[in-house]
Amino acid sequence: MNERFSRFNTGLLADRKITQLMIFTALTFFFFSYASRDIFFSSSNFISMAYQIPEIAILSIALMLSMLTGGIDLSIVSISNAAALVASWVMTTKMDESENLATSWIIIACVLGTIVGVLAGAINSILVAQLNVTPILATLATMTLFNGIAIGVTNGESVSGLPEQFMRVGNGTFFGIPTPFVLMIFIAIAVGFLINRTTLGLKIFLVGTNRKAAQYSVMGDRKVIAWVYLISGLLSSLAGLIIASRTSAASPDFGSSYILLAIVIVVLGGVNPNGGFGTVTGVILATVVLQMVASGFNALRFSQFLYLAAQGGVLIFVMILNVVLENRRTNKSIAKSLRS
Amino acid sequence: MNIKKLLLRNETALIIAIVVLSLIIGIKSPEFFTLANLFDIFRSSFVQLIFALGVLIVIISGGIDISFPAVGIFAGYTAVVLMQRFEWNPENLLLPIALAIIIGTILGAINSIAIATFGIPTLIATLGTSGIFRGLMLTFIGSSFISDIPVALDKFATADLLKIQPEEGTLARLHVLIIPVAILTILVSLLLTRTMFGRSVYALGGGVEATRRLGISVKRTQAKIYMLVGGLSGLAGILYVSLQRKANPYDLAGSELDIIAAVVLGGASIMGGYGTVFGTVLGVLLISLIKGNLILLGVSGSWQRAAVGALLLIGITVQALNESKKAKNRRVSTSDEAGE
Repeated sequence: MNERFSRFNTGLLADRKITQLMIFTALTFFFFSYASRDIFFSSSNFISMAYQIPEIAILSIALMLSMLTGGIDLSIVSISNAAALVASWVMTTKMDESENLATSWIIIACVLGTIVGVLAGAINSILVAQLNVTPILATLATMTLFNGIAIGVTNGESVSGLPEQFMRVGNGTFFGIPTPFVLMIFIAIAVGFLINRTTLGLKIFLVGTNRKAAQYSVMGDRKVIAWVYLISGLLSSLAGLIIASRTSAASPDFGSSYILLAIVIVVLGGVNPNGGFGTVTGVILATVVLQMVASGFNALRFSQFLYLAAQGGVLIFVMILNVVLENRRTNKSIAKSLRS
Repeated sequence: MNIKKLLLRNETALIIAIVVLSLIIGIKSPEFFTLANLFDIFRSSFVQLIFALGVLIVIISGGIDISFPAVGIFAGYTAVVLMQRFEWNPENLLLPIALAIIIGTILGAINSIAIATFGIPTLIATLGTSGIFRGLMLTFIGSSFISDIPVALDKFATADLLKIQPEEGTLARLHVLIIPVAILTILVSLLLTRTMFGRSVYALGGGVEATRRLGISVKRTQAKIYMLVGGLSGLAGILYVSLQRKANPYDLAGSELDIIAAVVLGGASIMGGYGTVFGTVLGVLLISLIKGNLILLGVSGSWQRAAVGALLLIGITVQALNESKKAKNRRVSTSDEAGE
């Protein structure tokens, strides 16, 4: 009985970050629901939130994967824009006058978009895993390069007027739930399965916890890192397709603030930026919190710039909180071992 | 042997790149080789160079700062706003510059608190503060464009050290800023190579634990670094406002990449511990050369960003290859595991 209780207790402790986050989510929800009863606490607001959450959630999950290995992928937003642009370009050039397009062409366009994402991810993989370039630097370079190529090809203009059938994916519902939200849940479950139930997932955590130990155990740490950036590219391209389908446009500059937002979400979601710890659930919960803050600020008519400041503030606050709590925990355990 | 070593230096490679690029551009369009164009390249490098010197110090210390454009524009814009609100003597040139440096140093001190006191990873800390600074400036200080900046700052934009009118072609103007910027560059170089502080910056980049055991206060060094960078960014920000002859709070966003690219191309190692002021100067010149003269090569200006990205990618790949070659040699000669 006692043993079972302690196991239950450690289970809860291991998920301490999730528990904290759930409390935080609930508090944010009640705060804005109380502060703005008519606008924030309305079904139309929740529906619009359900359409806005998926794209940033998927980008954050992609970022989480690279952070789990102790790296970072700054190129996610430019990959997602590049994928969206390629897919949109295929669709708009193949469209006839009546703005109709065969479903097969839409599928081809989407597949091409994801291929662009995987190729871009492969470039990151080669740089980080094969050439040993520091992840920040490698992805900073590829982010500039992909974004630059997109601006160069499109002359900085956006591609708009996508076919109706394609837009239905981003704006439609699936059994009453917004389709992007369903796609997000699907992707989240897939990534959750990958990191918790497969060997690759276990290796990702090992590499993130201690790269040198991973090297000495000859488990192919380079291959693990290569996979991570490849999957990150794939997920980013999926997010790009969802964005294109929701907004009916693709542009090289879309979501330039998303990289800050994604890092805020991932860190708030309890992912350790030095690698080795993180959960998909945490990332999704953090996305919901940030989206509620965004909608709440909007409902209360705060300026969008204040939201930018709030994002930065939350990031710094959470990091400081983590450091302080970590120190207290270490001190406590030292004191405990001294006593015994 | 010595010549071989000299040829392998990063600075030599950069000089060769600059010369080759100039020749290619010059052959395609002879107007490149005019004094006016040379002075234009200098003029567009002043602000970049001051930012780059700050970034260089941070990168040598093993950190990364991406808040410097936010700090720069915050300081520059706020200085102009303060000058106007309190109706301080608009003829005074030194007052707004001093104000901007002070504001920059204060913002740098906030970075210092996040990084040195709480030990937040530098990328995440400065990403957060850059959101906070930008958001707070746009919400509370102002979000509108100021075109009537104080007279002294406005006049300074056209203060030329010498004007040379060639027999045909445009008037070549060498801005007076070349002298203070040159002095500042030499000062930073002396600071890094000849003072205790400078050596502790290098030591910190070489290894935090080793620095601590040398008896250098890691926290104090870090705090000084980020305050110094804040001050430099403030100076760069107000000079930017002056040279542009307008204060636009939305400016400089996204310029962090070009400057980090210049510093990294200049041979500074992002892992810390290595970097020279001379290399940084060459890196800044190379980036300005490419950004300003792409059109002379017959390439549309919208490819600027892609060119910077490609250049950065080539630079870091070459550096990474050299690094791994060195690591391999080391391993053969000492049969010691080089590790990371």
